Amino acid sequence: MAELQLQNVSKTYGTFEAVKDVSLAIEDGEFAVFVGPSGCGKSTLLRLIAGLDPVSAGTVAIGDKDMTARQAGERPVAMVFQSYALYPHMSVFENIAFPLQMEKRSKADIREQVAKAAATVQLTTRLQDKPNKLSGGQRQRVAIARAIVRKPEIFLMDEPLSNLDAALRMEMRSELTQLHKRLGSTMVYVTHDQLEAMTMADRIVVLNAGKVEQVGKPMDLYHRPANLFVAGFIGSPPMNFLSAKVVGLEGGNVLLEVPEVGRLALPGDASGFTVGGDATIGIRPEAITTTAPGEPALTLSIAPRTVERLGLHTIVYGEQGGRTLTALFNGDPAIAADAPLGVHVPLKQIHLFDAAGQARGHRD
Amino acid sequence: MALQSSTALARRPQSFTQNWSAYAFLTPALIILFLSLLLPAAATVVMSLTDISFLRPTNFVWFDNYIKLVSDSRFRQAVGNTAYYTVGVTLPTMALGLLAAVALNGKLRGRIVFRTIFYLPVLTSLIAAAVVWMYVYEPYSGPINGTLTQLGLPPQPWLQSPNLAMTSLIVMAIWRDFGTAMIIYLAGLQDIPKDIYEAARLDGAKTKDIFFRITVPMLSNVTFYLMIILIVQTFQVFGAIYVMTNGGPLGSTETIVFQMYQTAFGYTEFGYAAAMSTVLFLAILLFSIIGTKLMRRGES
Ligand SMILES: Nc1ncnc2c1ncn2[C@@H]1O[C@H](COP(=O)(O)OP(=O)(O)O)[C@@H](O)[C@H]1O
Ligand SMILES: [Mg+2]
Repeated sequence: MAELQLQNVSKTYGTFEAVKDVSLAIEDGEFAVFVGPSGCGKSTLLRLIAGLDPVSAGTVAIGDKDMTARQAGERPVAMVFQSYALYPHMSVFENIAFPLQMEKRSKADIREQVAKAAATVQLTTRLQDKPNKLSGGQRQRVAIARAIVRKPEIFLMDEPLSNLDAALRMEMRSELTQLHKRLGSTMVYVTHDQLEAMTMADRIVVLNAGKVEQVGKPMDLYHRPANLFVAGFIGSPPMNFLSAKVVGLEGGNVLLEVPEVGRLALPGDASGFTVGGDATIGIRPEAITTTAPGEPALTLSIAPRTVERLGLHTIVYGEQGGRTLTALFNGDPAIAADAPLGVHVPLKQIHLFDAAGQARGHRD
Repeated sequence: MALQSSTALARRPQSFTQNWSAYAFLTPALIILFLSLLLPAAATVVMSLTDISFLRPTNFVWFDNYIKLVSDSRFRQAVGNTAYYTVGVTLPTMALGLLAAVALNGKLRGRIVFRTIFYLPVLTSLIAAAVVWMYVYEPYSGPINGTLTQLGLPPQPWLQSPNLAMTSLIVMAIWRDFGTAMIIYLAGLQDIPKDIYEAARLDGAKTKDIFFRITVPMLSNVTFYLMIILIVQTFQVFGAIYVMTNGGPLGSTETIVFQMYQTAFGYTEFGYAAAMSTVLFLAILLFSIIGTKLMRRGES
């Protein structure tokens, strides 16, 4: 049975629909990440789960129990806010103790629980300090400890790392993953950063304009994006899109005319297409190679305009038929800006989308 | 008369040479401040060491006025009355102002209307308000006693009884001042991030817990600030007493400033009045320093 179940959940502010008919099931112990661009309704959805805002329609169930009518604080969830929302007038100890005091626990019990949570997040030496004496990362840990002591069935985290610098963010990313493993509880984590989603999630929920675009394991979303939005959002640098015309449908293949590229036959589901209609093909930058692969491939000539060498790999922004293609090569190949470069893309690696942006390629 | 004390938040002092241009800009204001405030204040202190009066040639008497003050039972009564008035006005004003601010900070319908109604008394002229309240407290035709009679309760001599007069003045002052407290508390409430309330709700805090564990402590600086403002203001109460009771009945509403006024302009004992003024000034200064200290501690 799912730990968290959302059924046809909607939220409207006036006439604006921030969350549109979302249905989701999150398993017990799962690390689920809601990802999507800023303003797509991630925080709103999290607040609906927490009970901070009432749903406009639909139901929220946690561990089999309908929670829709329950107020915030009466649901078995704890939340870590983007701003941390620590109580500035209380010491670290008092911050972590607050939820326990609200449960009217005994003083000795509170001391023990706080000590345990503080040890989990390595804050034992800072218990008497006020939050304004702590660094961003330490405040983050206090917020997490305050959530841990509640022993919630579900942890909710709203962009908890976005106020940290890059190095600390990387460190906290793996710490949160470890913490999840240790606690074994369900986590719902919100971020606009697809890298965080890819690295931390058991399962990713991609949101766009209040709707769920796709739900899946990180590598499923990467290899089999359901539509143009997910294809463009997951992966960095983002996928290249080339518009095309359908010129024929035969034997499980879609025959395409791609301007400045030529004819191309891709295996695909013909039902999404009509001859003469539009289509889009998608090529990941890392699918592009300089050496011909031993399989059917598309061959192009690009004119590199910018070459970014990062050591581990090299990103080339090249011009091809009046559009910009991004290519990512391993290592540090000898590529000169503005000298024409022959590249190859295995046909199996090309994504195919119909006129409505739905993926129609046969991929495995 | 007493000095208005400054409650500005002090910052770390910096060296003079670093800030000479700041001082240059401040000079005109400092000159005005010196002529209108510091000079008369200094003159008051000097006067308090004399027996200056229209009644006799002036002598330097050193601390005689202060020694006399200590054993002056009328002055002691005035100090007691002032303390009663100050506590009686300050605490309820802050409590009511805080409750009104919290109630009107939320999504309550008509909150703008209520805010305006509660703030209106602040904008009235003191003398006009005093005249209206004299009518309200009128023993025979006033609305309060009218209502009491209708309810079958005995009417009260609100301003005519030594036991009631000061309390009646206090009620009126609360009516006039709590709008100020409300506005300042409302401003303070705006500074508390919404997230913190939401975190508290998720942590299981009920309305009462949120009020006492989050709102009140997070407004402590505003509270100290208001307390200084109100103490300094109520310490110097004069206008309402002058209009409504003239210090009576039986000196029950005689406050320090009212007695100072009578001593100076009724009995022309300027030296003695100046000593009272200096004592009042020192008391206000003390409260301001304590309040500012508390505020700065709350900030760190
Ligand atoms: N209280 C509110 N009133 C009106 N609109 C809101 C409110 N909260 C959020 N919104 C709108 O709902 C949309 C989604 O917001 P949010 O969930 O915060 O986005 P995200 O967290 O994905 O960046 C935004 O367009 C935002 O302006
Ligand atoms: Mg958000």
